[in-house]
Amino acid sequence: MSVGRLLRLGTGLLTLSLLLAGCGSDDTNQPVDVTGGVPVGAVLALTGNANVYGQDQKIGLELALQQRNGSGGINGRPLKLALEDSGSDEPGANAAFTLQINRGVLALIGPTLSQQAFSADPIAQRRGVPVVAPSNTATGIPEIGFFISRVSAESSVIAPLAIERALKIQPGLKRAAVFYAQDDAYSTAETTIFQKALKEKGLEPVTVQRTQLNDQDFQNQISAALREKPDLIVLSLQAVDGGNLIRQLRELGYRGLIVAGNGMNTPNIYPICQKYCDGLLIAQAYSPELDTPANAAFLKAFKAAKGGAIPPQLTAQAYTALQVIGEALARLDKRQPLTGAPLAATRKQLMQELLAGTYATPLGEIRFTPEGEVIQSQFFVAQVRMDPGGRSGRFALLK
Amino acid sequence: MDLLQILVNGLSVGAVYGLFALGYTLVFSVLGVINFAHGAVFTLGAYFTYLLIGGAVGANGLLAGFQLPFALPFWGALPLAGLGAALVALLVERVAFRPLRRRRADPLLALITSLGAGVILVNLIQLLVGAESYAIPTGALGGLPASFPLLGARVRTVQALLLGIAVLLLALLTLWLEGSRNGKGLQAVAEDPETAQLLGIDSTAMVRLAFGLSGFLAGVAGGLVGLSVSIAGPYFGIGYGLKGLAVLVLGGLGSVPGAVLGGLIVGLAEAFVPADWSGYKDAVSYGFLFLVLLLRPRGLLGRPLPTKV
Repeated sequence: MSVGRLLRLGTGLLTLSLLLAGCGSDDTNQPVDVTGGVPVGAVLALTGNANVYGQDQKIGLELALQQRNGSGGINGRPLKLALEDSGSDEPGANAAFTLQINRGVLALIGPTLSQQAFSADPIAQRRGVPVVAPSNTATGIPEIGFFISRVSAESSVIAPLAIERALKIQPGLKRAAVFYAQDDAYSTAETTIFQKALKEKGLEPVTVQRTQLNDQDFQNQISAALREKPDLIVLSLQAVDGGNLIRQLRELGYRGLIVAGNGMNTPNIYPICQKYCDGLLIAQAYSPELDTPANAAFLKAFKAAKGGAIPPQLTAQAYTALQVIGEALARLDKRQPLTGAPLAATRKQLMQELLAGTYATPLGEIRFTPEGEVIQSQFFVAQVRMDPGGRSGRFALLK
Repeated sequence: MDLLQILVNGLSVGAVYGLFALGYTLVFSVLGVINFAHGAVFTLGAYFTYLLIGGAVGANGLLAGFQLPFALPFWGALPLAGLGAALVALLVERVAFRPLRRRRADPLLALITSLGAGVILVNLIQLLVGAESYAIPTGALGGLPASFPLLGARVRTVQALLLGIAVLLLALLTLWLEGSRNGKGLQAVAEDPETAQLLGIDSTAMVRLAFGLSGFLAGVAGGLVGLSVSIAGPYFGIGYGLKGLAVLVLGGLGSVPGAVLGGLIVGLAEAFVPADWSGYKDAVSYGFLFLVLLLRPRGLLGRPLPTKV
């Protein structure tokens, strides 16, 4: 076969597959299929540069599923969770959302990144499928539409807390250098909040350095920032790029305080910045020390699964997302049995049910605004403490 | 801005690009095609280095928790990782290139088979060791300091090593190509495989040699970059692969000095992007490539195509 014929055949197949992909199933008259359990989907970044978050979230979902099904599932029927890997980009998230929706799931959890959410959530909104975001913190996520909600509090609520804490530790701070990934929705949203908070606290940023999500070498930006002699570094980056930046920053001689945003709020930064992670300040939406029955149950399950380890925020939030959906489904099913009900109408009723509830979760008691924004009362600030070998550490909550 | 700091930053990154592009160049010069599996071989070099210095596999993948029963110092692990990567490159040649060559298939098809081999390798890495990030321990260089001052600039030790080792390897390769029988044989095959065969040069062996060398360089480059930054999962080599392609084209397809020059130019172009615009450094380097190709379509040191009559 000549190359030309091969190319023509390839183009034909591609066109056909695109046409088929565009033909989503018609949900309008389809009944809810509860064969094998009540179907819920999750779309997480299990590969690519955001995989470090997806791995944390996957554990949270697994534990929540065990907890739900161990206590009767959805009124005697098991909750069935279909997990799809989105990769770490928008096309991956779009494809995974479409696949899950076509499977007939009643609700979706995900995607991992805000950047992906701005691309994939409109698909769920158009198809009328409830979405609970476990980790999207950028401004404007619930505003995508009625079907979009989140259990991850917006950056504007949490991020300034770490700046306040840095000033408490070192009141004389004057010169802040800011880094953010300009091609990432979370980073750009969070840095705006950080920069506003800095100005409000009298800390004018002396330099703002832009990076890209897939960058690994930051020596140019660091050299430029260090020339400004900053005494505080503020990062809105994801775990891999942020971890690399911190390592290079410390290797190039910076000794001052570093505040990082939610993107670095995972123990998966430890192997990247290693001993240089020590001292990093990050605001938290979850405290393992929260003394509630819901958190005690979550902690017990996590420690049993992970050899006594302390759960990270992302795991707690993913757990919460599935818990919220499970409870809303159980309430809806009691009022109006799910079996055989029309899928499209059931999805809409589930969203209404979800927004109406109050939930006792590992994050504390949470509710939702009518727009789907989470209402959470307690937030914290942690400082990373690395073990002497620099290979593992912990997020030590600051009192 | 401190010129020396910019030069150091640019040259250390550019040296890696050059090393990477040399692998492309060696294969391109003998086969006339680009080996798209090269990025995956580079990635493997980084993982091999990590494992050889005693790194343990994380919680995901079939090899979860696996650790070699010995741990080598970085300087022992790096060449061994290069050799491991060379073996994988030879395997790629065996399964993705040789069958097509034997059937005298259109060389363009090798683009697809090498891409397939690359995707398979990347997925194999993910299957075996998971998708998480790994990092070579910060103390891997023993008692060497993390950075040192140099005429007012601050240089990370790993940056200096990257530059030094890359320059050393490039010099050795050039000496070998110009001064050894096999090196000249490789150049003869690159010039005209059929005439080289008639002159008694085993072109199949030369192709294997090109793949082996290319794999070794990729493996060493992967290990060095892995030392400088973390190994960000199985797709670690993709960004470098794209940049390597740009360098290959900029320097001139098939030109060894062109690959080196192209790498250094791209590295320096990125370093000279003003810090406030550093988020756009890729646009600047590819824009530069675009301009050079408009003015000089065969690249900086590429040879003009022969005129056919």
